[in-house]
Amino acid sequence: MKARILQRSDVLKVVDLLRQRGYEVIAPFRGRGRDTYFDTVSEHNRDQIQLHLPNPYYPPKRFVFPHIERMMKFQRANGEIHIEPTYEQPKRAIFGIRSCDLAGICHLDRFYLGREFCDVYYENHRRNLFLVNVVCSDPDQDIGEECFCVCTDTGPAARDYFDLQLMDLGGDEVMAVAGTPAGEDLFSDPIFRKAAAEHVDKRHALLDRLRKSFKKDTTSWFSATVRYISQSEILEKTWEEIGNRCLECGGCTYVCPACTCFTVSDRQVGPNEFERVRTWDACALSGFTRMAGGFNPRRSVHDRRNRRFFRKLAHYFIQRELSMACVGCGRCAAVCHGDIGMPRVVEMIRAATNEARTT
Amino acid sequence: MTTPATENIYLPKTAVLERVVSEIPEVKTFYWRFEDATEQQTFKHFRPGQFAQVSLFGVGEFPTSLPPSPTEDETFFTVRQVGSCTSALHQLNSGDRFAVRGPYGNGFPMEQYYGKNLVFVAGGIGLIPLRSCIVYALSNRDKYRHIQIFHGAKTPGELMYVPKLHEWEQTPGVECHLTVDRATDDWKGNVGVVGSLFKKQGIEIPVENTIAFVCGPPVMFRFVIKDLLAMGFEERNIVSTLERYMKCGVGKCGHCCIGVAYVCVDGPVFTYEQIRRLGEDI
Repeated sequence: MKARILQRSDVLKVVDLLRQRGYEVIAPFRGRGRDTYFDTVSEHNRDQIQLHLPNPYYPPKRFVFPHIERMMKFQRANGEIHIEPTYEQPKRAIFGIRSCDLAGICHLDRFYLGREFCDVYYENHRRNLFLVNVVCSDPDQDIGEECFCVCTDTGPAARDYFDLQLMDLGGDEVMAVAGTPAGEDLFSDPIFRKAAAEHVDKRHALLDRLRKSFKKDTTSWFSATVRYISQSEILEKTWEEIGNRCLECGGCTYVCPACTCFTVSDRQVGPNEFERVRTWDACALSGFTRMAGGFNPRRSVHDRRNRRFFRKLAHYFIQRELSMACVGCGRCAAVCHGDIGMPRVVEMIRAATNEARTT
Repeated sequence: MTTPATENIYLPKTAVLERVVSEIPEVKTFYWRFEDATEQQTFKHFRPGQFAQVSLFGVGEFPTSLPPSPTEDETFFTVRQVGSCTSALHQLNSGDRFAVRGPYGNGFPMEQYYGKNLVFVAGGIGLIPLRSCIVYALSNRDKYRHIQIFHGAKTPGELMYVPKLHEWEQTPGVECHLTVDRATDDWKGNVGVVGSLFKKQGIEIPVENTIAFVCGPPVMFRFVIKDLLAMGFEERNIVSTLERYMKCGVGKCGHCCIGVAYVCVDGPVFTYEQIRRLGEDI
């Protein structure tokens, strides 16, 4: 991979370069207080783009997997039915995607594009997507209380899967690393100059420091929990304990960069016109598995919690998708009112199972 | 808007309803064809035990078993009216359009069962998915050994595919045993649950080299499994097909995922050994 250096004051020129190349650029902005969000860049907000800020709770996943997406239209005329699929194929760039969210997209790619069938809607969003990863290098602003990418091995600096990676080295220097030919293509612009060995050393030193500034430390517990879950060693009462704390709001799913489930529904849009849309769905909700007629194989809350964590952590699925369906962003921990986000659950399972084994 | 190269797995193809036959109360069989003849030809290569997604415009989509055997000419679904989509289907008349996509799922590995005895145990509408296997096995009669069919229903009026049952009863080399929970005056057959047939005089179920297909309501399933295991059946020689809430049918929407399996792509056919390991209610 090729590395370049650019001036801190030139960093937003990367956004300009992408816009000149015809990309709709999405970037992070600050709202009030902790509120941060991704939005489309225009002439009006270009200067407000933030390099360092707490990662928005609403993940950039929606740019590849929109939370409501039209799939097709049905038109009825003279007893005939016309079905027309509806596709969106944007040319889009996400500037400032964090390493955890990048790992999320990598996971979604393997899930939607791989396996037996390829999801054409996802593929369309993904095809022309340009990813500018920004390394979380400011421990005060970028790294939150709940962040644990060091435990899931997805951050703070992504190793690949970006087109371009930017890392603020402090002072006036930002390191740019190209991950793809498309990313390297940007290096022809004069804002980029050659990086020297000292910059690479600086990067390593900074990353070493950063890794120590995470507040969560569930690194070693993840492996134990993955093993316990995969071997079905978790006691029913541990799931019950977790289930008792779940308010069934589905918030954890809504903010998760690696959750893939959706539901499909039809709606009428005209006298003889209908459309089929898909929307995000959550396994926390009791209707998720309820069949017509009312039979629900997963009635209790703890069964549904068991499902979520099993799907995310079981070795079988890790092997299948080559990564856990958890990227360590910490959003579920931040939004969960019952305090059963991923890090807490990993800890609860590890502690309870370990205790049961030793007594 | 450009047309992508990747096939759209969610796109159903329009079908015409040809005729509707009432089976039992709330259950009808819908004979249909794809409007496009090539589509019809491609679809017909399904395997017994696979399923299809049926679209009712403006209402939604639901998964349903394929009761015909690929060896038959007609394509049809047998559907109980239970939710919004199935109710919408029940309201359609001959000539009406709906849409279908599929076939999906693994299906029964009928070729692996060559040279084996086949025992079919169906409770109520559990006969719908098994009908496909039975017809398939009978059209390849020389490939299989002994074939036994056990079908139970609540009342004689709720026995499924009655003309077919009579045909099977008359077919040489096939045993077809019927039972009902509650008899009516004109019922001369067995009264009792399906399992009660297994112990009847003159009925002998071979355990060695036999595959048992079991489909039916959860209670029936549990008891039949118990009976079969007591007879000495190995868990891996008992097969069934699972039913789950599904949206996509192609392993993406996540609704049907139990344990490590996505019922739509890894199933819906599982051996009892696999079902037990999945660890969820049937």
